[in-house]
Amino acid sequence: MKRVVVYAAVLALLGGLVLMTEPIVPDFQKLASFIPPTIGPYVSEADQTFDAETIFDYIDGAGEVYRSYNMKILVARRFHKDGKPDIVVDLFDMGSPEDAFGVFTHDLDGEDAEVGQGSNYKAGLLSFWKDRYFLSVYAEEETAETKGLVFELGRRIDGAIPGRGETPDLLRHLPAEGLDTGRVRFFHNHSVLNYHFFVADTNILLLDQKTDAVLADYGSKDDRSKVLMVAYEDGGSAAKAGVSFARAYMPEAAEKGIVKTENGKWTAVRVNDRYVVIVFDMIAERTAAARLDAVVALMNGRADRMQEE
Amino acid sequence: MMSRKPITRRDFLKVASVGPLAGVLVPAAARTGRSPLPRQAEEKVRVVLVRDPSPLGPGGAPPAEVVQRMLDDAVRALLGERDAVKAWKTLVRAEDVVGIKTNAWRYIPTTPEVEQAIKRRVMDAGVTEDRIAIDDQGVLRNPVFQKATALVNARPMRSHHWSGVGSLIKNYIMFVPRPADYHGDTCADLATLWDLPAVKGKTRLNVLVMFTPLFHGVGPHHYAKEYTWEYKGLIVSRDPVAADATGLRIIQAKRREFFGDDRPLQMTPHHIQLADTRHHLGVSDPNRIELVKLGFEEGILI
Repeated sequence: MKRVVVYAAVLALLGGLVLMTEPIVPDFQKLASFIPPTIGPYVSEADQTFDAETIFDYIDGAGEVYRSYNMKILVARRFHKDGKPDIVVDLFDMGSPEDAFGVFTHDLDGEDAEVGQGSNYKAGLLSFWKDRYFLSVYAEEETAETKGLVFELGRRIDGAIPGRGETPDLLRHLPAEGLDTGRVRFFHNHSVLNYHFFVADTNILLLDQKTDAVLADYGSKDDRSKVLMVAYEDGGSAAKAGVSFARAYMPEAAEKGIVKTENGKWTAVRVNDRYVVIVFDMIAERTAAARLDAVVALMNGRADRMQEE
Repeated sequence: MMSRKPITRRDFLKVASVGPLAGVLVPAAARTGRSPLPRQAEEKVRVVLVRDPSPLGPGGAPPAEVVQRMLDDAVRALLGERDAVKAWKTLVRAEDVVGIKTNAWRYIPTTPEVEQAIKRRVMDAGVTEDRIAIDDQGVLRNPVFQKATALVNARPMRSHHWSGVGSLIKNYIMFVPRPADYHGDTCADLATLWDLPAVKGKTRLNVLVMFTPLFHGVGPHHYAKEYTWEYKGLIVSRDPVAADATGLRIIQAKRREFFGDDRPLQMTPHHIQLADTRHHLGVSDPNRIELVKLGFEEGILI
């Protein structure tokens, strides 16, 4: 009898583990259920659905952006009313909150729309992220009416998505002082880095779909600097990337890891465990080193706390 | 094997004061080890920019007769002929099978007015209608395109989320079954499309439509009407790279005007420069382009 109980406990535990590790399966029907069928006087047309392979059929080469954030599926629903500009909802299941947040940070221009877990609105386009979903609601022509309906659609979809997601852990290593919280980007690969901040025409930081990276702006428009953090799979990969970057970007100062660049500002790099941290366009050598110290201190402090736990 | 030295932000900083195209020109020149300086001794490539102030219709094009006149004026100026039909007869032969490669993008298409103006002149040159086709996404399945001996390439220029701009060079991406295969390095090597058997050596004319160009994009569809303007132009050339380079200068000038600073395109449109320096498809250097301007000059931006 005792043995049976033990078996049952083991089975229950295994079952629990299976449930805990069950992969998220993208579900078109579930995704579509978040979008209302009508909005104001508009009615919706038949949904279009795409995955990472077929997305090019819908949005051409722009699909590469969503693929670079590991998109899983997309449901596109067009709302139509005769004589009015169409409104299009594109709802992406990105597979993880980190990538939903990341793809949202790809375009941060616009005013905060206070929808979802982060949003902006500009020129008829409302974008936001929530849980593992990224959403775009777009009016083909911005009018007072379409703007109101775009916001209403956004709020209704926000309300229909039940969960919330965590932002990438890497963001917690950004020093708060001077950080422009509206200019923090999360991404994985070299092309997206260069989209936001051209570093080099080749992949000198050895970025790929497995690397997580954050690019953050500091200071004001007249005194803008950047912090780039990349998390690699292990310390060896980070060390290799750090050397690659230093040799290509600061060949005259690769050993020292800090250099005054052609614009009179300072760039510095440091490898810390499985991370590479780079600061760009710092006004002085001293402040560049201090910013690196601040990032590393946050990383190590966090690592220490995790070890204690 | 020695790998080449990467081009970094620091190289860009060194030349940032060269001019508005510095960000495009310098890295590409450095990739190939070629000088970005003009090769003065070589012959210039002719590009014609024609503009007409007529109001645009709901589809974003001037009236059909105006488009026909613009195209005729441009082709005559391009080829130095007084008569448009005679000029077209130097481009296509009566026995040709002609594919007019258009672009059907929902928000800014080539427009039927441009397609029909081209078709009419191809027919005037002696090609029968059954040997002419207009197509975009179906070119691989289109029997006329499958047998085509000549192509006319016509599309609008617009900013593009991955390639920097949608260009004449890029317009042939529908001649491959998997366009995504050409997305590497943000479409750097699109010019290799022009070596495909279905395309190579067949393009007789390039028409870059600049009626309502898109100079900036937002969202998954990379479009907002706010970022288009009525430029009311056509750019015509035998050289797709020269036509694209000219259109790009206009797009960049508009961005400077609109944003008030020299804001680079979201993705570097380096495929245009590389089409010249790496793939030798045509000429991208403005100093090697003879730009002929026809029509009204207000707001010409170039």
